[in-house]
Amino acid sequence: MYSVSMYETKDYPTDRGEKISFDRSLIPPCQAACPLHMEIREYVDLIAQGKVMEALRVIRNDNPFPSICAHVCTHPCENACRRSQVDKPIAIRALKRFAVEFGGDRMVQGEAETMRSERVAIVGSGPAGLACAYYLRKLGYPVTIFEAHSELGGMLRVGIPQYRLPREVLDTEVQRLIQMGVEIRRNTRVVSLDLLFGMGYKVIFLTLGAHQGLRMGVEGEESPGVVDGATFLREVNLGLKPSLGEKAAVVGGGNVAIDAARTALRLGTKRVVILYRRSRAEMPADPTEVEQALEEGVEVQFLVTPTKIKRANGHLSVTCMRMELGDPDAGGRRRPVPIKDSEFDEEFDTLVTAIGQAPQIPEDFHLRMGRGSTVQVDPATLTTNRAGVFAGGDAVTGPATVVEALAAGRQAALRIDDYLQHRYPLANKEVREGLAGDLLPKTLDMVKKTSRLEPQVLPPEARGKNFEPVELVYNWEAAINEARRCLRCGVGAEILFQDKCATCLTCLRVCPYNVPYLDEGGVIQIPADQCQACGICVTQCPAGAIVLRKPYDRRHVASELDHALRSAAESKFKPFIIGFCCQYGLFGTGALASLWRRAKAGIWIVPVLCVAKVEAEHILRAFEMGAEGVFIAGCGEQCAREKTAFWVSQQVEKVRKVLVQLGLASERVQMFNLYAGDEDPAHALDEFTEKIGGLYLASVIKQEVKS
Amino acid sequence: MIVAQQKPLEEIRRLIAPYEKILILGCGTCMTVCGAGGEREVSFLHGALRVAQVKGGDGVHAFLEYTVKRQCDREFLDPLGDRVSEVDAILSLGCGVGVQVVAERFPDVPALPGVNTSFMGATEQGGVWDERCAACGDCRLAETAGICPITRCTKGILNGPCAGTKNGKCEANKDIDCAWVLIYKRLESLGQLDKIRRYYPPRNFRTIPRPRRLAGITSIDLGGSNG
Repeated sequence: MYSVSMYETKDYPTDRGEKISFDRSLIPPCQAACPLHMEIREYVDLIAQGKVMEALRVIRNDNPFPSICAHVCTHPCENACRRSQVDKPIAIRALKRFAVEFGGDRMVQGEAETMRSERVAIVGSGPAGLACAYYLRKLGYPVTIFEAHSELGGMLRVGIPQYRLPREVLDTEVQRLIQMGVEIRRNTRVVSLDLLFGMGYKVIFLTLGAHQGLRMGVEGEESPGVVDGATFLREVNLGLKPSLGEKAAVVGGGNVAIDAARTALRLGTKRVVILYRRSRAEMPADPTEVEQALEEGVEVQFLVTPTKIKRANGHLSVTCMRMELGDPDAGGRRRPVPIKDSEFDEEFDTLVTAIGQAPQIPEDFHLRMGRGSTVQVDPATLTTNRAGVFAGGDAVTGPATVVEALAAGRQAALRIDDYLQHRYPLANKEVREGLAGDLLPKTLDMVKKTSRLEPQVLPPEARGKNFEPVELVYNWEAAINEARRCLRCGVGAEILFQDKCATCLTCLRVCPYNVPYLDEGGVIQIPADQCQACGICVTQCPAGAIVLRKPYDRRHVASELDHALRSAAESKFKPFIIGFCCQYGLFGTGALASLWRRAKAGIWIVPVLCVAKVEAEHILRAFEMGAEGVFIAGCGEQCAREKTAFWVSQQVEKVRKVLVQLGLASERVQMFNLYAGDEDPAHALDEFTEKIGGLYLASVIKQEVKS
Repeated sequence: MIVAQQKPLEEIRRLIAPYEKILILGCGTCMTVCGAGGEREVSFLHGALRVAQVKGGDGVHAFLEYTVKRQCDREFLDPLGDRVSEVDAILSLGCGVGVQVVAERFPDVPALPGVNTSFMGATEQGGVWDERCAACGDCRLAETAGICPITRCTKGILNGPCAGTKNGKCEANKDIDCAWVLIYKRLESLGQLDKIRRYYPPRNFRTIPRPRRLAGITSIDLGGSNG
C-alpha cells in the first residue's frame, strides 16, 4: 500500500534521515552493585508481570547457580537499591528465590559440548570452582574438579548450615555439572601442581577457600573444649554430631559466629552465648540472621572479649573483659577499647572461636603469597606467578561472599579461555552508562509508598531442633506485589530528538513526579536518575520527541496490538473487541487469565505494561482494523504509578470525539479497572460486550436497509 | 505563539474528498506547542481519517505523513520535494502562514488547511490558551501596565473602563475580567496611576494597508558589499 502508517514510520527517523534504534537504558544501581552484574531490573519486572519462566531465563543468563544465590546471597544489590530512599529496598534475593522455585530451575538440564582439547584442572569445589567449571564447560573445555572432602561445594557444603542452604539445592547444581560432563574427583587432595601439569592439564584454577580459623591469641586457647567455628561447622555439615555440652560460648560477630551459634542450638545445646567485642551496630553479620538467631534464643553479650581460658573439672572457665567503643578505625567501625579492671569469669562447657578465617595454601605450590596468607594474583586476569596457574575465590580475597566467588569463577573461566586461545585478555567492556544519585525531594514525595513484603519464615518454635530451611518462599501474590515496587531506574523517558522538541513544556506539565525541568539555556531536560518510567510524557508529547530508553518498551504496545489484530483477522468471530489490559500485578496470571477464559469469543486482549502507555493512535488503529469496540483495563488502586488512569481517560476522550464525528457511538471505547475492589471486571466486560454486540447488529441492519 | 485549532473531522474529509493521495504535513513549531498540528496530531489525524475511511465507506485515500520544523520558512520544506511530486494534495496542519508558504513552494499541488488559525496567545495552563496580542502594529503596553486593552477589552477601547464594568468583570461576558480594571490595579501597584489620568486620542482606525512587510537590516542587499 502506498500510505505509510504510524507503525512503519515509528522506527524513529529523524529529520536528517538517520535511525536511532538502540538500547539507551542505563545500568541501575542494583546491577552495578552485583558482582555478577545480573540484569536485576529486568527479571524483577518480569516477575511483576507474572512471567516467572522468562525471569528465570534472565537470571540464568548471568548466574550459573541461581538457586544457591537465591538462598544465601548477601544481596549487595539490595543495599544499593534506590527504593530505600522512598521506603525500603526491593527484596531482590527473595524474588530470585521465587523465580527459581516457581520458574522450574530444577528442571533445567545441563548441556555442554566438548569443543576444545585443552584440559583444565580446578582445585577446590567451592562456588568459585563450580562457577569456573560451569563456564569452562560452556566454552567447550574438558574440566576436572579436585575436591579434598567427600562432598562437593566447599564452603557451601561445609560452611553454610543446612537451614540456610538446603543440601538438595547444592546437590542439584552438582548433578547438573556432572550432566554437563565435568569430571569430579572427590576425596582427592592436591599436593603438587607439577603433578597436575604432568597429568596433562594445561591450566590449573586454584580455589582452595579460606578454611583455617584464626586464633585469638589468648592463654588457654589450646584447651580441649575450644574449637574454631569453621572446623565446628565443617564437622556438623559433613555428618558428624559434635557435642558442645549444655552451655556454649561463641566468640565473634560475623556470619560464621551466628551460623555456629544457631547450629549449636539445633544440636541440642541448652544455652548459647555469643561474645562480641563491639556493639550490635558494628556486627558484620547479616542483620536478618542476627534477628533470627535472637528469636531462636541465642544470647549475645556485646562489648565483651575473652582474655583467658582455663579448663577445670570438665568445664571451661573463661575470663572476659568488658570493652567500650573508641575512635573509628580505618574501616570506619569504632575500635573496642578495654575497660580497666572489668574482668569477670564465666563458666562454659565449650567455646567456639569464630573471629575470622584465612586460606591455607600448601608451600609446595610455590605461589607468591599476599596479605593474610592469600594467593597473590593479577586482579584483571587472576593469574598467579606461575604460568598456567590461576586463582580466585576466598583463597585470593580472604573470606568473602558466595556471589563474589561466583563472579571470580566466571572471570577465571573467561581469562583461562583467553589464555588458552592466546588472546589478549579482553576486559569486560560495558557500553551503557551507570545511573546513580539520590531522588530529589520533589520527586520522592510523589512516589507511592508501599511497604516491603518480607518472605515468611518458620516460627522460632518450629526451628529449634532441626535443620529445615528457615526462610519460606513467596507465594505468587506476595512476589508480584513485591516486584511491582521496583522503581525501574534507568529505563525512563528521554528526549531522543532535541531538534524535534518544540519546548512546549507539555512533559513538564504532565509529569506526575515533577521530573522534567527547563534548564538555563531554555532546553527541557528529563534527568534519567529521576524519571520513574511511567511513560505519560511519551504519549503526551505533541512532537513525538520523547521515547522510552529501551527499544522493547518503545515497540511493545504497537507490536502486541498488531499481534492481536492479526489473530483477530484470522479468527472467524465477528464482531471483535480489542482490550488493552495492564499486564502488571496479578493480571498477568490472575484477572487477565480469567478474562481470557471468560471472555466471549471475539475479545482480544493486548497486554500492556501500564495502560498509560496506550496512545490514542493505538485505539484508532484497532478501529481501523475492524474492531467494533475497544476497552482499556487498568489496575486501578493497585497501580504503582501516579495519575495513569487520568491520562488514559484523556486519550479515551480524544478518541471518543473522533468516533462521534464519524457517527459512531462514543460508548465503543470504555475504560475499566481490573481491581476496583467491589466492582467485578468480568461483569463490566460482559455488559460492554453485549452493548457492542447490539451496536454491531444495529449497524448491520442499517447497512442492509441502505442497500 | 500562534494558536490554532484543528478543523472538525467532517470538514477535513470534505476538503480531501476530491484527492486520492494526500500528504498530511505537520508543523514543528507553534502548531506543535498548541497541540493542533505537531507530529502526534498528524499521526492522530491520519489514524482518524483511516478509521473514517473504513467505517464511512466513502472514497479511498492514501496518506503520507510528515512533519517539518517550521512551515513558514521555505527551506524547511525543501526535503519534501520528492514526496510532494507523488501526492495529489497537501493537507497542511500549519497555521495560515504555513499553508500559504506551502502553496507558494509547491505551486503544482493544492494546499489545504487542516487547522483554523485563531490568534496569538499565551498558555493559561496545559491545554488552555488565551489571546494576548492583536498585532495592531502600534503597541501601547508601556502605558497600560503591560495589559493590552486592544485584545483583552471586549470593546478594545483606549480610555477605559467603560460604564459596563461591574465587579471587575466585563458586561459582555461575566467570566472575563475587565481589562481596564486590571490595568488600573496594576498601575496602582506600580505607583503609576497618573498614566490612567491621561487621555489617549482615538486610535488610527484607518485600515492597515495589507499585506504588511517588515525588512530587517540584514535582509537588505545593497550590492557591492565585498570589502
